[in-house]
Amino acid sequence: MWSLQPLAERLEQSSLGTAIAESRYAFPVIEGTHLLGLAISVGLIILIDLRLVGLLLRDVPARTLVTQLRPYALWGYAIVVISGVLLLWSEATSVIASPAWTFKWIFMALAGINALYFEFIVARRPLVDGDQGALPRDLKAAGLASISLWTLVIVCGRLIAYLPRWP
Amino acid sequence: MSRTGTELLNVLQASRLSHAIAKSNHLLIASLQIVHVLGITLLLASLCLITLRLWGLVLAERSAAQVVREASALLWLGVVVAIGSGAFMFIGSPRHYAYNPAFEVKMTLIALAIVAELLFLRAAAAGRLPRIALKLGAGLSLSLWLAVGVAGRAIGFV
Repeated sequence: MWSLQPLAERLEQSSLGTAIAESRYAFPVIEGTHLLGLAISVGLIILIDLRLVGLLLRDVPARTLVTQLRPYALWGYAIVVISGVLLLWSEATSVIASPAWTFKWIFMALAGINALYFEFIVARRPLVDGDQGALPRDLKAAGLASISLWTLVIVCGRLIAYLPRWP
Repeated sequence: MSRTGTELLNVLQASRLSHAIAKSNHLLIASLQIVHVLGITLLLASLCLITLRLWGLVLAERSAAQVVREASALLWLGVVVAIGSGAFMFIGSPRHYAYNPAFEVKMTLIALAIVAELLFLRAAAAGRLPRIALKLGAGLSLSLWLAVGVAGRAIGFV
């Protein structure tokens, strides 16, 4: 954590960092983009997860929903990442001091690992192709894990402003 | 604001619930905001799915009416969660919100968006509208809710 501090100070004091922090409109616009972008991209991921769990569009094959919604979720996610980096740039020292930020990264990493496990191991099995209705148990588990982890990422993100430092 | 409006705000501000929320640990407000964001996430994502389907970009081989019906249930759940958590935030400091211009804009846009959704989703789920009306209606309701989000974000900055 401590080794990040000098980098955070450099980011915050850079011309881009100060420009965002001092502009009347830049910060709220970027923050709004981050929030609406995450509602759409993480939301679409959660819709896919709800299909895996069996709560949504049960008669659409899971594979169809995943492949068709994935590009929109990923493009949206790119917007969330870019706006997130810009927000960090403008207030890096206070953000990285928050325990919520550390936990947000942990949950994002776990969500990423879960997504890779789903993509490359679970979903590659031939059984999933054309599978309708209820899915095997580990697919449901991957969906549930994804819903929980992304929810925790959102929770931690919102808490950054409320938990400024470690106790 | 009318006199009854002002009186109502004063009564609300003086209420025990308002004091309880305003005086509570700041993590209660944080929790309300988190629930608010999760509601918005459900709302916007299901509306996105509906819009993508009505524009023919996903699940084109599936009945649009069925996708609209299933996603609408989630959309309304999101609306209820967002409005419910928002109502508690409002009760916590009614005067702070009521005199904020962005808040007024947001409430107007929410009313419009809900009316648009009630009319549009029902017609779309029943499969009664021509394709062009479905596309326009989906685009309009998504824009309205995004505008609600922008106005909501602006509350903290005006």
